[in-house]
Amino acid sequence: MSFWLTVLRQVGRNLRQTWMSQIMTLLTVSLSVLIFTLFYLIYANMLNVGDQLGDELRLIVYLEDEPVPEMQEQLKNKIKSFDEVEEIRFVSREEAYEEFSSQLGNDKDVLEDMPRDFLPPSIEVTPLKTLRSLNQIKLFSGYLAKLPGTLKVQYGEDWMERFYHFTRLLSIVVLLSGSLLILTTVFMVAYTIRLTIMGRQDELELLKLVGATNNYIRTPFLLEGFLQGFLGSTLGVSALYFLFCWITERFTGPGFLNLIEFTFFPPLTVLSIIAVSILLCTVGSHTSMRKYLRI
Amino acid sequence: MIEQPPANGSPMVEMIKVSKRYPPDITALSNISLTIARGEMFFIIGRSGAGKTTLLKLISSMEPPTNGLIEVSGHQIHKLRGAKLSRLRQKIGVAYQDFKLLTDRTAAENIAISMEVSYKKPQIIRNRVRALLEQLDLADKHDSITGELSRGEQQRVTLARAVANSPTMVLVDEPTGNLDADTTERVVKLLNNSHKSGATVVIATHDTSLYHNSSCRIMELKGGAIHAIEGGDRA
Repeated sequence: MSFWLTVLRQVGRNLRQTWMSQIMTLLTVSLSVLIFTLFYLIYANMLNVGDQLGDELRLIVYLEDEPVPEMQEQLKNKIKSFDEVEEIRFVSREEAYEEFSSQLGNDKDVLEDMPRDFLPPSIEVTPLKTLRSLNQIKLFSGYLAKLPGTLKVQYGEDWMERFYHFTRLLSIVVLLSGSLLILTTVFMVAYTIRLTIMGRQDELELLKLVGATNNYIRTPFLLEGFLQGFLGSTLGVSALYFLFCWITERFTGPGFLNLIEFTFFPPLTVLSIIAVSILLCTVGSHTSMRKYLRI
Repeated sequence: MIEQPPANGSPMVEMIKVSKRYPPDITALSNISLTIARGEMFFIIGRSGAGKTTLLKLISSMEPPTNGLIEVSGHQIHKLRGAKLSRLRQKIGVAYQDFKLLTDRTAAENIAISMEVSYKKPQIIRNRVRALLEQLDLADKHDSITGELSRGEQQRVTLARAVANSPTMVLVDEPTGNLDADTTERVVKLLNNSHKSGATVVIATHDTSLYHNSSCRIMELKGGAIHAIEGGDRA
């Protein structure tokens, strides 16, 4: 009989004998993977949203007076002396009025009694994509606020701060749930393998005495850990996928969520999650064997 | 009752000044020096507590000696580790006094274990298991859980497991302790067959009927020491 056939028979026998604790471990691994991947998916999507919003990021510098062309050149140079920017666009009072009017659409009648120069002139600064951190944007905004003739600088500071803190909180949750995944997976699998070893002490002793090699005795336990990791993570990721489909289907329609495009993990990430889970479970199994299996 | 086979070649078992003590201060064996040739049938007799089982445990490397040297098939068995030790153990069949059966498995599964560890083909294992059960009058117990068998039946399953893998040495501890005369005869026949096929057979027993007409060597242990070695031409 081949080595692997014998090992698979052993695994099948072990699973039959300790099916209750095996199922409990499988569910624990699945739940750990589900919790971790859920937060990780939200985090990854929030980073995507951040990127999408970052593409739209513009700092608007409101000016007291419309700068003459020489002044515009001076202002451009001053802005560029802080950092390279993607685009600098001067908006005159007239252009500001036109843009506002077109934004109002059918309600533009409300502007009829207003003078066409009631809006302040401004500079729209589109920073480079490398300028993404909140601190850098704050610094840039502070610099722009000190330019001569500046009334104020706007870039949705409050909203950006809230978003930034939210993604930071999410990254902590992802880290915590990742640690939870590692701990529960390693300990639960180690515990189950320990139970199996304890329950099969007589058999293991006999196997030793009739000349079973260490590989013959150890491989089924490692394979059990491998299977726990594979099945547990596949179950967890599948559950997350169904949850994802359900949520995206249920919340399709007009609303805030519709502005953002939510995506599931790419196949490579899914494979990585499964591979890491398998590795953790095998490590758990190996740890238990080293501790309790005397061969 | 048991026949003496031709014995030749280098020793299967060589023991030099072997002692075994258990804590706190129990001497199970002291100063045993012994040679058992390949293909020999060797009896160890003595009262309970004389050290028969301990001697078998030392030879089968279940326990290490406190002092002395033990060589089995030319290897210092207590220095062997890993695959080498496993390979040697596959060649030694042991029928333990406490049976060491997996009581939640069938008789066939218990016998098959010793062949599975050396990766014998399933068909060969099945045939061998059936033949052994037949020889020991246990054919109808093939699928019986060993925990539900009588002690005599369990003893025979243990013996079948010991000889199943065609070992080069069979160590048997009280093989007929729970058996009637008819079954004892079957057991003896099985051991004789194993012996005839070239295996060294070491039997620890109280049962005088096993060796009283035999020309094999008989070693008597008393208080953990060799009291006498009789019979054979190597005594």
